[in-house]
Amino acid sequence: MQPLNELSLTEARAALDNGTITSEQLTKDCVTKAKGLNGSLNALIELYETEALTQARDADERRKQGNSAGVLDGIPLVLKDNILNQGHVVSAGSKMLANHISASDATVTHKLKNQGAIILGRANMDEFAMGSSNERSAYGPTRHPRDPERVPGGSSGGSAVAVAADFTIAALGSDTGGSIRQPAAFCGIVGFKPTFGRVSRSGLIAMASSLDQIGPMTKTVKDAAILFDAIQGPDVLDQTTAKTTPFIAAWKKDLKGVRIGLPRQAWGEGMQPGVRTRVTEAIDVLKNLGAEIIEIDLPYVEEALAVYYVLMPCEVSANLSRLDGMRYGLRLENLPLFETYAQSRAAGFGPEVKRRILLGTYALSRGYYEAYYLQAKKVQTLIRKAYVKAFETVDVLLTPTAPTTAFKIGEKTADPLTMYLEDIFTVGVNVAGLPAISVPCGNSPDNGLPVGLHLTARAFDEANLLAIADCYEMASK
Amino acid sequence: MSITCEEVQKLAELARLELTEEEIKKTETDLDAILGYVQRLAQIDTTDSKPTAAEAMSEGWREDEAIPCDDRTRELIYSNFPARKGNLLHTPGVFSAPKK
Repeated sequence: MQPLNELSLTEARAALDNGTITSEQLTKDCVTKAKGLNGSLNALIELYETEALTQARDADERRKQGNSAGVLDGIPLVLKDNILNQGHVVSAGSKMLANHISASDATVTHKLKNQGAIILGRANMDEFAMGSSNERSAYGPTRHPRDPERVPGGSSGGSAVAVAADFTIAALGSDTGGSIRQPAAFCGIVGFKPTFGRVSRSGLIAMASSLDQIGPMTKTVKDAAILFDAIQGPDVLDQTTAKTTPFIAAWKKDLKGVRIGLPRQAWGEGMQPGVRTRVTEAIDVLKNLGAEIIEIDLPYVEEALAVYYVLMPCEVSANLSRLDGMRYGLRLENLPLFETYAQSRAAGFGPEVKRRILLGTYALSRGYYEAYYLQAKKVQTLIRKAYVKAFETVDVLLTPTAPTTAFKIGEKTADPLTMYLEDIFTVGVNVAGLPAISVPCGNSPDNGLPVGLHLTARAFDEANLLAIADCYEMASK
Repeated sequence: MSITCEEVQKLAELARLELTEEEIKKTETDLDAILGYVQRLAQIDTTDSKPTAAEAMSEGWREDEAIPCDDRTRELIYSNFPARKGNLLHTPGVFSAPKK
């Protein structure tokens, strides 16, 4: 019999519902796998074994009584280490919050628990979600499940590995510039960033609040839809959540009448040949499904990375100023006030976090604000408009998720700009606040590592986006 | 345009970050490269463009009002205090003379 931890969410739900498995068996198989492999992969910072098994038995009891809590009842899930979980340490991958216990649940955690989900553990991540490789965690790098010499991508790399290595049925990550989709692509799983405003960020440890979004990391597109449905919706605790028609899945049998845009600007140099090969083949699959492929212009979007590396650090410098060693987090004692701040922060933050705080402080300084922040905000508007215009002609936009496959540990840490270029295809979506998904499209012929196909849709058009992604996934299997 | 060691030192003070000599040098190099890259934004004509916020369709600001907090949440908040005296947060003296 197939180990139960290898099941997709959809399969696990069906098996629990028809009584062929119990949540305790399912959770045990996940725990066993995680305990066996986490020592080498470092995907989880903490595994809640005893608590998870108790919750699983409770879930089994509920279903026996006919009181199922919902579609996630008895399903083991992993949370990225920046999503609050009451009573547990949640550290954002940082020494600054090494002992920080969540006082309350994030809205998404609350929703998952209410629907009976079992929280199996917290996943490793780049410190405060700043990185594209998971090498920036204060708790050591996470390793790629197929090649331990390589990175899993980041910053939700721990969540991606936990799903890809079958430690869990699914996971939540967060995405500010590509942090769900790029590790999903590297690890060969599905990573989905919903529209800005779809999912509450209350209880997500903030990095750049105008860009951050929580989303599912799963084994299939349909699984992503289930998890997304479970966490979506307006929230009084997050004033940026949108009051609009909720997402309802609407699957397609083929892609007749669907128009897919290939932005000319995306297909230049810098893309690995193997990535290009697999994505080109995926385009053929989509054509065979009846989609119309249209080359389009997407002006200004090549500026999205520059816009991101101004706006994001500005928000980082503001958001992380609260971590000063006063009310919570690391405090170095017995010093005057200024030194207490400066030394606590120096000891608590890693190099990438410090770099972005300083960059943001610079861009927001008097004399530079107009040239950097304000100009970036204005270009952001041009990018938003360019997407809106593109979506007058096409339903979704297609690119690779990342220009490369998983790279070697240490390969890109010396030069921050090289690392930042990893986000070139994903970051425009955050800058414009749109929904996007990375779906596996085979292994690169260069090195056998997974390649991700990246699809972007109109704001709040997740139903169409997921349907197209699902149609591709079904056809490519 | 190039950033200087003195500027990095000033930024570090503003950001309340103590940096070593080595970190200052590294920051100077790294920020130069990143700022060099983002300079491309200066080339873009934004005369007719205004800053916009995300298409959130939210209801905007809520009232600023105190929300009751249950005992468990309150106790967990206390437990995160770096220094605690009873249920009070202990902080260093605000008026002690800074070294800088």
